Amino acid sequence: MDFKYIAIFSCLFLLIFLLYKEVRRTNKDRLIWRILASIIAVACFMLLMVPVKYETHIKKNSNEIVLLTEGTNLDSVAKVQVEKYVLASADLKRSKAKSIADLPYFLATHQDIRKLDIYGYGLSEEELKATKGYEVNFHPSENPQGIISASWQHKIKTSEQLTVQGVYQNTGKNSIKLLLKGLGNAIDSISIGGKSNKNFSFQTRPKQTGKAVYQLIALQGKDTLAIEPVPFLVGNQSPMKVLILASFPDFEYKFLKKWLYENQYPVAFRTQISKNKFSSDFLNIESFNLNKINSSALKKFDVLIIDEEELAAINPEEIASINAAVTGGLGLLVRVSSPKSTAPISGTFGRGESAPAKDQQLSISLKENKYNFSKLPLAQSLFLKTTENDQPLVMDGSGRTLVNSSLKGSGKISMSTIPATFNWLLSGKKTDYSTYWSAILSNAARRKTENQTVKIIPQFPVVSEQTRLVIDLAESGKIPALKIDSINLAPRQNIALPFQWDAVFWPSHSGWRNLSINQSIESLFIYKKSDWLARRNQQKINSNLEFVKALKNIKPIGQSKDLIIEKEISIWWFFIGFLVASAFLWIESRIFNDK
Amino acid sequence: MLKAKGRNWIHSLRTKWITLYLLRIFAFSLAIASVLAALAIFVLHLSPWIFAVIFLLVFGIALLIKPIWKTKDEDFSRYVNNRFPELEESADLLLKNPEELSMLQQLQRDKIENIILSIPQPKEPVKKLYLAIAFLLIGLLMSFGITKIPVSSESQVVQKEQKPTSTIKENVPIEISGISATIIPPAYTGKPERKQKQLLINAETGAEIVWRIETNLSVKSLKIIFNDKEAVSLKPTNAKAREWKFSKVLTKSGFYQLEINGKKSDLYQMEVIPDLPVTIKITQPKQHTTIDVGQPQKINLTADLSDDYGINDAYISATMASGKGEGVSFTEKKLTFNSPFNNKKNIRLSKQIDLKSLGMKPGDELYFFIKAMDNHGQSSRSDVFFVSIVDTTELMSMAGMTNGVNLVPEYFRSQRQIIIDTEKLLKEQSTLSGEAFKIRSNELGIDQKLLRLRYGQFLGEENETEIGVDHDDHDGHADHKGGEEKFGDVTAIMDKYSHKHDIAEDATFFEPEMKAQLKAVLTEMWDSELHLRTYKPQEALPFEYKALRLLKDLQQKSRAYVAKTTIKTASLKPEKRLSGELDKITQPVQKMSFEQKENRVAHLKIALALMESRKTGKKFLEGDKYLLNETEKYMIGAAADNPATYLNALTSLRKLSANNNLNYQDIDIVQQAIQKMIKGEVAKPQNNDAQPASSLYQNYFNNLTGAGRSNGF
Repeated sequence: MDFKYIAIFSCLFLLIFLLYKEVRRTNKDRLIWRILASIIAVACFMLLMVPVKYETHIKKNSNEIVLLTEGTNLDSVAKVQVEKYVLASADLKRSKAKSIADLPYFLATHQDIRKLDIYGYGLSEEELKATKGYEVNFHPSENPQGIISASWQHKIKTSEQLTVQGVYQNTGKNSIKLLLKGLGNAIDSISIGGKSNKNFSFQTRPKQTGKAVYQLIALQGKDTLAIEPVPFLVGNQSPMKVLILASFPDFEYKFLKKWLYENQYPVAFRTQISKNKFSSDFLNIESFNLNKINSSALKKFDVLIIDEEELAAINPEEIASINAAVTGGLGLLVRVSSPKSTAPISGTFGRGESAPAKDQQLSISLKENKYNFSKLPLAQSLFLKTTENDQPLVMDGSGRTLVNSSLKGSGKISMSTIPATFNWLLSGKKTDYSTYWSAILSNAARRKTENQTVKIIPQFPVVSEQTRLVIDLAESGKIPALKIDSINLAPRQNIALPFQWDAVFWPSHSGWRNLSINQSIESLFIYKKSDWLARRNQQKINSNLEFVKALKNIKPIGQSKDLIIEKEISIWWFFIGFLVASAFLWIESRIFNDK
Repeated sequence: MLKAKGRNWIHSLRTKWITLYLLRIFAFSLAIASVLAALAIFVLHLSPWIFAVIFLLVFGIALLIKPIWKTKDEDFSRYVNNRFPELEESADLLLKNPEELSMLQQLQRDKIENIILSIPQPKEPVKKLYLAIAFLLIGLLMSFGITKIPVSSESQVVQKEQKPTSTIKENVPIEISGISATIIPPAYTGKPERKQKQLLINAETGAEIVWRIETNLSVKSLKIIFNDKEAVSLKPTNAKAREWKFSKVLTKSGFYQLEINGKKSDLYQMEVIPDLPVTIKITQPKQHTTIDVGQPQKINLTADLSDDYGINDAYISATMASGKGEGVSFTEKKLTFNSPFNNKKNIRLSKQIDLKSLGMKPGDELYFFIKAMDNHGQSSRSDVFFVSIVDTTELMSMAGMTNGVNLVPEYFRSQRQIIIDTEKLLKEQSTLSGEAFKIRSNELGIDQKLLRLRYGQFLGEENETEIGVDHDDHDGHADHKGGEEKFGDVTAIMDKYSHKHDIAEDATFFEPEMKAQLKAVLTEMWDSELHLRTYKPQEALPFEYKALRLLKDLQQKSRAYVAKTTIKTASLKPEKRLSGELDKITQPVQKMSFEQKENRVAHLKIALALMESRKTGKKFLEGDKYLLNETEKYMIGAAADNPATYLNALTSLRKLSANNNLNYQDIDIVQQAIQKMIKGEVAKPQNNDAQPASSLYQNYFNNLTGAGRSNGF
């Protein structure tokens, strides 16, 4: 049985008992008043326990409001007759609308509101959450002008290229010049015609070591429309270690060895001079016994360059240890020269032969970034076949793959059919040579595992907005010590992934901030409120539109125009009645009876 | 009163005449002077005052040519007498004192006086004046025209050079009240010395710079510091220590600054204008010229030479190559130009080279280039040009084609076979019947004939009957007569009358000597066949042998012979041979490590990032000072070589490291300069990054690979 009914019955018994007592009292004065007071007191007491609810109808007009957010064109909402409210975050002082400091609080205190008409760029994610369950209409403003999306690497290594890409939305009639400026130089620019969206992609090789903030500047004639910061970091990395096993010394190895040596890469080079007799070079590296290849020796290196003849000549134990090392992450680059594979590992890729180019010149290009090298004086007939599991790296002019790679375990096997690249060095094309070998070795080499990674949410953290850091650590046992500049953060462990931690903080000022995670320091950049405004506004519009779209899918089609809501009469009224009635009874028995 | 009237008339004529004349020459000289002055001012850039000088000069000369003021009234009376016959040659009477005149003269005078007053005064001087005024107008127009002539390019260059120096504003220390730098270019440039109030110096290589500095106070020490290294203390030239002088010969670009009482000034640039060697442009002939048969064996050489200060000398260096293969010989010759150089800046040289007079024959080649020296002794040379004369005999010769294919060896065996068969027949003669012997002998004869015919083909012989003799009647040709002849078939008619052979040249690519020997072989074969056919194999045998010997000789001739040479090899040690032991062979190990001697690039790269952090408002820390000093050192080095590029950056860098003020422009300049100093940044291989290797991921990966192996489905 419900508590409600127990309360009612017990109160009825109490009332009967009290009435009986009142009637049976000797002093019959003010009997009616006393009976009345008893009834009121007991009734109120009961109603204190059992609250009274009732249903009311709310008319439509009274429960619809207009919310003006940032970017609202005030003229466009002037005709709207509904009551207008403006969010405090939107800087719309000219409007006569009432200001709302906090939307979730406002909605909680105004229960009658059922429908929201949002004008402007829309609500933030947090505010949108509060509008769940309401009927929301979104009237977006005109698309903002500016860079509506942008991305670049936030951390690159020395001599790597920085690529800044994005979309510029030009809503105006005039064409706009978009300029990437960094370290005092204008690096690149494009012009964007009126009323159009244009993708842009700028590439540069930054020369500094450390932090820098480049700028994307939008210019219209001489007017600067916007300056958006592009912060990134150039870090040094310890050079990769290269092991070269050659069946016989040739110029290709000689030049590669020299080039690596001069760029301070540790290189161990072994070449066979007779049966079981080797000549070995140790460049920028401590010497060790290279006559026998074993897994402990291979662990020291990031990439192994070997030719197929050598691969066929070494004994099975060595092959096995190479196999194991590649599965464990080592990069393997096999140079092949014959159309038939002679060693088991080198059979990874199929090979084919076709007639070489007539002019005996080989034109090749990198597949990834379409870099075209100058021609090599080679008659190349051997090429590699590709499957969907492979990643071709270098192609020739007619689209045949010359260098191919595929995953094996956590390592990579690459194969090259180009017999000689040193001609570039001989003809003074150093850039071609460097670019070629950088691309191939970078792709092949063992991946460097980082100690930690930091993910920042949102992607463009802004001053005085909540920023969340998600940190992946190598070991999961200990709680990491997190600090931003000198402020300690409290990390929270992910329930499912024990090595993932997150923390929340509110940046107080913009610019570079140091995040220290267990002694190691990462840099993160906090943007000003005015940075990347177009991008943020466009995102707001998009997320609001999506939110509204999702709401429409949920809502039933035919919704009643009048809403019925249940209301509760405040229990304070009953308490007052109870208090007054019992007070009367008490005073009556004390004061009037004494007479 | 009447008496003076005539005299007055003449007198007034004279004054009027003189006045008009003066006006006329005034107009004339004005016209001449204006034209001359316009030329002097606008073309030669002289001062406008020259006009007054020229005018006075011309006017003076004009006056002196005809001193008209010396004329007297008598001269005019003579003129009037000539001019007006009605005066009856008596005008001079009017000028004479009437008292001295005779009666008749008096009468005449009175008469004339009346006449003369009615005569109009002569119009000539007025007309001449009009002419002069017209002349003046023309002169003014001409001088106006001269001002509109475009200024010659030379003077424009001068103006351009002067402009930038005047626009740059320099910060001169306040202690200095006056400064001047005199640039004395080296003599060979032929440029005058020039004086400037600027501290920025643009001077020719080897120019002497003399600085004269005046200070408004007496200064204790004044130093001049070159390239931040070389400091020179100046000595005052006057007692009050207010005037200073210093001179230096400029050979290299760089910068300098002044130090007054220990206070350093701004940096000033010294740019050297290098003396370039002569540029030579050969407009004629082309780089490769071939002279064909019939063309004149001469070439016309035209070249334009230019230098910034003057050309001293130029000549053609010609090399002739004659002969070919290993027998090429070279002769060199120096050909001079006839025109004088006289230190001209631009010169066009032309010369006709007669190849025959140089001793060139067909097939020879001429290589030549022009070498020129400027007046500073720098030499330069042009590209090498080639001229070759075609050799016609070379084209006609058949060298290399005669011995191309060895056609003979295959057939030699047959001759030997015939000999063997003949000998066999002779052996078996006793056992054979007479008839059979004859048949076999005849058959051998037929074989011999076939062989002869085959060899005959090499000599271009066509039928079996003749050997190398001219033939008139052909049995083959007779056959054609039977065929119907088409009317108008030109080739058929031509065939009838022409004598067609196989093309002998195709068949007989043999030397005449070889041909003769082949003919001899055929003769022997012919004889042998004769005896075989007449059933006398015994007699045929010697001819057969001779034919074979000759054929053998022929075979030997087509072979080259190389004599054996003696070599001495080291004696082999048989006990070591092929033992397969390698234990004595050491394994070479090289070890090197690359040491970069200076961290210039690394420092500069960090300095770039430091500038970037300065942009955000962070001040330089104590630790950064070292880096800034290093950067400054590198930049001083760069500025000493290229002051125009790096001097501003160096100034900005010093400002940045000294001041606490944040100036974005300075940082930009410094960053740009540092980036220019870091040259040739190319891609280097870098490891890719992987996510932190958590043990969870590792387990997952191991399970994946492990499952693949053990389950095997």
